[in-house]
Amino acid sequence: MSDEQRSRPDLQVVSEETPPPSQANDALVIGSAIVAALAGIGFAVGLALQTSIAVYGTALAIGLLALGFGARRYFSDLFPDIEAVEPRHPDDGEDDESVAAIAPLERRSMLRNTLIGAGGVFGLSLLAPVPSLGPAPGDELKRTDWRRGTRLVTTDGEPISADNVATGGVATVWPEGSVNNEISAVILVRVGDGHIREPTNLEWVVNDELIAYSKVCTHAGCPVGLFREQDNALFCPCHQSTFDAVRGAVPTFGPTARALPQLPLGVDEEGFLIALGDFEEQVGPAFG
Amino acid sequence: MTPLFGKLLDELDARLHVRRDARRTANKVFPSNWSFLLGEVAVFSLVILVLTGIFLTFFYRPNVEMITYTGSNPVFAGRSLPAAFESIVRLSSDVNGGLLFRRLHRGASHLFIATIVLHMLRIMLTGAFRKPRELNYFVGIGLLTLAFGAGFTGYSLPYDSLAGTGIRIAYTELLSLPLIGDRVAFWIFGGAFPTGDVIPRFFVLHVMVLPAAIIATVGLHLFMVYRQKHTQFPRLGVDGHNLVLGKPLWPLQFAESTTLFLWTGGLLAAAAVLIPWSDVSLLGPYIPGEVGNNAQPDWFLFWLEGALRIFPPLEFTIPPGIVISGPFVAGVVLPGLIFTFLALYPFLEKRVYDLSGEWHVLQNPLEIPLRAGVMLGVFSGLLILSAAATNDILSRMLGIPIEMITWIARVAVIVVPVVLGLWIARYSRKRLRRRGLDVPSSEVDGQERYIAA
Ligand code: FES
Repeated sequence: MSDEQRSRPDLQVVSEETPPPSQANDALVIGSAIVAALAGIGFAVGLALQTSIAVYGTALAIGLLALGFGARRYFSDLFPDIEAVEPRHPDDGEDDESVAAIAPLERRSMLRNTLIGAGGVFGLSLLAPVPSLGPAPGDELKRTDWRRGTRLVTTDGEPISADNVATGGVATVWPEGSVNNEISAVILVRVGDGHIREPTNLEWVVNDELIAYSKVCTHAGCPVGLFREQDNALFCPCHQSTFDAVRGAVPTFGPTARALPQLPLGVDEEGFLIALGDFEEQVGPAFG
Repeated sequence: MTPLFGKLLDELDARLHVRRDARRTANKVFPSNWSFLLGEVAVFSLVILVLTGIFLTFFYRPNVEMITYTGSNPVFAGRSLPAAFESIVRLSSDVNGGLLFRRLHRGASHLFIATIVLHMLRIMLTGAFRKPRELNYFVGIGLLTLAFGAGFTGYSLPYDSLAGTGIRIAYTELLSLPLIGDRVAFWIFGGAFPTGDVIPRFFVLHVMVLPAAIIATVGLHLFMVYRQKHTQFPRLGVDGHNLVLGKPLWPLQFAESTTLFLWTGGLLAAAAVLIPWSDVSLLGPYIPGEVGNNAQPDWFLFWLEGALRIFPPLEFTIPPGIVISGPFVAGVVLPGLIFTFLALYPFLEKRVYDLSGEWHVLQNPLEIPLRAGVMLGVFSGLLILSAAATNDILSRMLGIPIEMITWIARVAVIVVPVVLGLWIARYSRKRLRRRGLDVPSSEVDGQERYIAA
């Protein structure tokens, strides 16, 4: 291929290997081209006929693989295998002057500093729209929707009476009117053999056995989902923080440092469970 | 040049004067080694991500209002679902080809990040980060960070139960920033979690901001490779400091890359057929207050999740009210330190061995004890953290209490990297001494020794 050589005057070829023309290779190119074309048609038709992913997905895969294979064989037939070198520093010694050839005058550094300062201030002021991205937190993260007298309701909005929670059972409950308000989620536990002790606030326990804690893990905020009856442990599946449900939900294991806040729990005249007020401690993960 | 291309080029040249530049580009030499293809596969995955992503965007609804699903998936028929999740179910079950494109997209995203990580590992182990390529090394670290961001936002968009948990933890990480955390979290989430704003915002980040940033950064990355030329592995009789040896771009490297591109797509399509992944019906929509049992992020964030899991309880207040918490230290400070350390490592190596001049020939890390030690130390630590992210699964599989596994991980993550790092550094120092060598302080110097040896 002398044309080839002429079109690359500045390529310094080190070694060159020209494979002999081979009919086997031709057959491979043509064969894979046919396979690719058929697979392409298969993909289009398969999709049009709404067949399953197994059909048109396979066709797509086969088509792409065959096309890749064909391209490779095609190029290896058309061109010699070349190894070449290229100098790394072609311009060495020609451009060692500094980029800016005109030296600055030795004065007025104040001008420069003022400009840099102004640029900085201007750059910072471009951040001004950021606060409108979200409201100011205020005390939204410190208060939940629990108020004195708010009934506990299930996810379906049903109020719960003191005696329809199963022993050893847990239930996720919400403030009436705020179902699915994440930060107000509460886990209601009925402890089996009533050994509820300090630091639990015993005045907020109903019938010596019903107790309610914030469901928002104090570590990273996952919902505390599991209750292990044999040792009355509440468990967070995200990073395995474990809380002792009969001792004020203090953490017994895992990465969290703080107990789950206890909800002041009481009963109203009709026998339904209510909150006696909002949580007294910070709900959920730490901030500030 | 084939005749057709030649003709086209003639016409273009008559108008734009491209011939010289085109020839120089066509003659550009690419050293060949399989590990140099990792970066290429990452670029091809990016192309596939963009193409499939466009398709998905036509169907996705970035919105969490509850709507009723009326499509054909029996698990969700007639159920009220968040719109984002509903659109994913619809796309997977009711749009012809939708599931295939979702799987291609997810598969390509895993491949994209995996090849970036492996490529980075190659750069670090062989020393391709040395002068004059430090800048491009930084660009690469930026690219990895952007890829993590795109991965995380993409993982969140289906708004399934896993995604919701992940978003909740990200929100906590923002909250945990001392002093400003609650503000920053409200800015990004548009209020207290779970606001309706987070999904539309993640959507904009995932389909516009991050892809634009990634494409621009990849462009910059490749431009620098083009300007600085490739590094290469040492070869006897080749002055690698002054010459690049390899295949010219046209036609040989072009042929290789074309094949690689098509095969990458083909293998992803095959994987999409053979492995029934990305099945949202296994997860269900995100409902606040509910969480599945295995709350895990995508694999590339396992190390962060592991750090959150095994970091001991910590929460204290510095007067007048700056709160420092475990999630802040484990989820913000620690990754910050690791990334900063990796970014500054080239300068550390330069200092310690008093390196000078430019470096274009790659080295076996065993020839630089410091590098061998640091890399094995850092990466074994990251692997142990990643393993710790599965402590619940490990505990179930091995029948060992989770408390014990957590303690083992806590000890291991400190001891193992130090021991392994010191051991490999010592081993490579001995190995050098046995061969009567030391670490050369310039490439020319090293090359002479290499030839002499
Ligand atoms: S969020 Fe509960 S353990 Fe981390």
